[in-house]
Amino acid sequence: MLLQSHDLTKSFGGLVAVNQLSLKVEKGTILGIIGPNGSGKTTFFNLITGMLPSDSGKVIFNGQEITKLRPHRIARLGVGRTFQIPAPFSKMTVLENVMVSAFLHTSSMKTAKKKAEEVLKKVDLDEKADFQVLNVTLEDRKRLELARALAIEPILLLLDEVMSGLTPVEVKSAINLIKQMHRQGLTIIVVEHVMDVILSLCDRVAVLDYRRKIAEDTPQKIVNHPEVIRAYLGERYRARG
Amino acid sequence: MLIDGLLIGGLIIVVGIGFSLCFGVMHIVDFAVGEWVMLGAYTGFILVRYFGHDPMIYLPLVFLIFCALGWAIYPLIYRAVSGKRHNPVLMGLVFTFGLSILAKGGALSVWGYHIQSITTWLSGKSLALGPLTIPALRFSGFLFGILITLLLMLFLYKTRLGITIRATAQDREMANLLGTDVRKVGALVYSLYAGVTGMSGILIGALFSIHAAMGVKYCTLAFFVVVLAGMGYVPGVIIAGLILGLLQSFVGVYIGGRYNLVALFMVMYGVLLITPKGILRRGI
Amino acid sequence: MPLKNGHTQPHTSASSWRWALLGLALLIAFLLPWPLSPLWIRIATEVIMWAGLAQSWNIIGGYTGYLSFGHGAFFGVGAYMTGIVMLHLGWPFALGILISGIAAALMAVIIGYPTLRLRGAYFAIATWAFGEMIRQIATILEITGGAFGMQLPAYLNLPFFYYLFLLVTGLTYLTTYLLLERSPFGYKLLAIREHEEAAEMVGVDTVIIKIKAFALSAFFPGVLGGIYAYWVTYIHPDSVLGAQLTDFMVVMAFLGGIGSLWGPFLGAVVVQLVNRVLWLVWGEGTFYLVIIGAAICAVVLFIPSGIIGLLQSRIFLPGTAWKEIRKKVKW
Repeated sequence: MLLQSHDLTKSFGGLVAVNQLSLKVEKGTILGIIGPNGSGKTTFFNLITGMLPSDSGKVIFNGQEITKLRPHRIARLGVGRTFQIPAPFSKMTVLENVMVSAFLHTSSMKTAKKKAEEVLKKVDLDEKADFQVLNVTLEDRKRLELARALAIEPILLLLDEVMSGLTPVEVKSAINLIKQMHRQGLTIIVVEHVMDVILSLCDRVAVLDYRRKIAEDTPQKIVNHPEVIRAYLGERYRARG
Repeated sequence: MLIDGLLIGGLIIVVGIGFSLCFGVMHIVDFAVGEWVMLGAYTGFILVRYFGHDPMIYLPLVFLIFCALGWAIYPLIYRAVSGKRHNPVLMGLVFTFGLSILAKGGALSVWGYHIQSITTWLSGKSLALGPLTIPALRFSGFLFGILITLLLMLFLYKTRLGITIRATAQDREMANLLGTDVRKVGALVYSLYAGVTGMSGILIGALFSIHAAMGVKYCTLAFFVVVLAGMGYVPGVIIAGLILGLLQSFVGVYIGGRYNLVALFMVMYGVLLITPKGILRRGI
Repeated sequence: MPLKNGHTQPHTSASSWRWALLGLALLIAFLLPWPLSPLWIRIATEVIMWAGLAQSWNIIGGYTGYLSFGHGAFFGVGAYMTGIVMLHLGWPFALGILISGIAAALMAVIIGYPTLRLRGAYFAIATWAFGEMIRQIATILEITGGAFGMQLPAYLNLPFFYYLFLLVTGLTYLTTYLLLERSPFGYKLLAIREHEEAAEMVGVDTVIIKIKAFALSAFFPGVLGGIYAYWVTYIHPDSVLGAQLTDFMVVMAFLGGIGSLWGPFLGAVVVQLVNRVLWLVWGEGTFYLVIIGAAICAVVLFIPSGIIGLLQSRIFLPGTAWKEIRKKVKW
């Protein structure tokens, strides 16, 4: 088991955002998390990466408890993430953005630059390496998010709605990209609204509804799960399942 | 001594509430807060000198004057913190920092380093409350503080506009989406804050003294209160203001007034170290 | 320079021009005391000192995005530290300024630790209050001479101080260039300024990096303050801890352009020269505060990228000047 969360809970003021969430992710698999807006998906990511402190519960990564660690320590252990709304370092170039990540493993400018160029090539952004971030498109910013996360050489990658806002063609190439990363041995958690993406990518799917997990299973079974259909999917996907 | 501290606390609360509201709604830390107090005090002083009468009757007038001033300046502040500015919070900080230097320099150039005072009909009188004798002016300052605080609270919690303001403070984006004109709310809050702070200036000036560089002191006090209360958390200001008043009297009596700032800073440092979101942990 | 916003310039010719320009500037700076009268050497010395102070502020305020509104305190602590070391301990001046720098940096660590973990506004408030507190302490303590200040042994040697300030200010710029423009440390600082949470997500230990930056930005004012104390020989709370110190650092950095290597230098030259000319014309006064305040507000409102931002756009090419100015100056 690469990542495990036990009864993870977080509330803001009186509002519970994540309620006793327990999830497991096996090494080398892709877990999808779906759920309506406000069901706690992004909060869950923020809890795992240490961006928010949890109220109770535990997170265990690679056999080590990381619940109380500061974010940069968790990143060093090999957890990379992307932000739902791209959060680039605006006044830097695309290449420099990725170099910041590369400095996690080297303090040489040259090595970091080489590493960043490699990663940019992987996500097909190498031609725009010297662009100012302010001048690139949304799709490229999403790729940049990915590149920045990849450059820390993660073991586990958390993708927060990387497809939202992309055109169908762009989505397709993004799916290929994720599959390719998966083949190279990465374990991935995908939070997504687009159901097709989840179905075509994931080994297992967890469904959140109103802050708690209502189901977790293979994609095939999830689309036929009665409670999931009622809460989230609607009838359309049952036929395909 | 205890009573004394509480009495001074009342006025600081008024200044602190406006300041905290400003931060909560617009994320602006107004470095010019002390200069508003100073300008208010001078306005009162000038009005008394040219038109006579008791300074107390000018309170509403000064309130209106400073509301208008705040309203007039707000577009500039808005400009500084919006648009394509790279780091709005930073720009707002620097802009009000500039404003405070401007106001202080202006006052120094016009009035110099002389220390002035305002006398009211309450000055020198005192009230007997059982075994205690309380200077009437301090007491009225305290009453004024409570009154304004109550009015502000009523406004914030019971009127539609007040609720809109609090909603904006809680989530600006959402308020914007729901059709609140965030800019207008900001202008309103800023002018309200300027008005209330300027008005307190008269009483502060009457209680203590008036000089061009007095702003520094009240800026420190406002900062202290707001950090203690948790930035942007308005109700906390009341408790923090009272604590501040007590602390000041305590330091004044037992350690010596000149250690006031040192003591304030130590407490502030401790609060930031232990519970950065204020003693009630409700700040932002 | 890759860290700059704006356009990618043709590398070779532009950078060799730059080196030539820098060499020329250094040569001029080196020869400057010869033709000048003592008064103007004094003014040139001040300009150089302020250039160093403004750059120090720029390290934390410009590159890291955390505004320190109490930076003058480090200068004052440095000045008093050198005074104490020389007067009360009888140690040499060189040791004094080193101790001054270290003391200032240590204070920055102590102040920065709780406040740099929070949002920038807390940091601004805390540093401001810290500055006020240090000034009050200096007026209370006996070792600092209270409100009357301290008289240091006199060493009347204008060129000595000129070159010493030149050396230390030169070091500030060299450090900024090497550490902030050309090393991982600088990249991480920029990342923190641009998006702190994202920086944490890629493994940047933001707390440590910010504290290091703050300590670095306090070290140089400490040293400069120490030199200043020995130069003017008489220091008191208002002269080395007054609010105007921070005010000037902020306005210089902003006017020149924050977060850039040469912005603070340009800002210091312009502001201090104007300040001195006004002083020569009008004598001592408080009106300069009005001008500084108005200048800060105007820069924030109209040219947030500072003079350097104006220069970096191509205003010198014929025909495009007006257009570029219109683009940079935000109406």
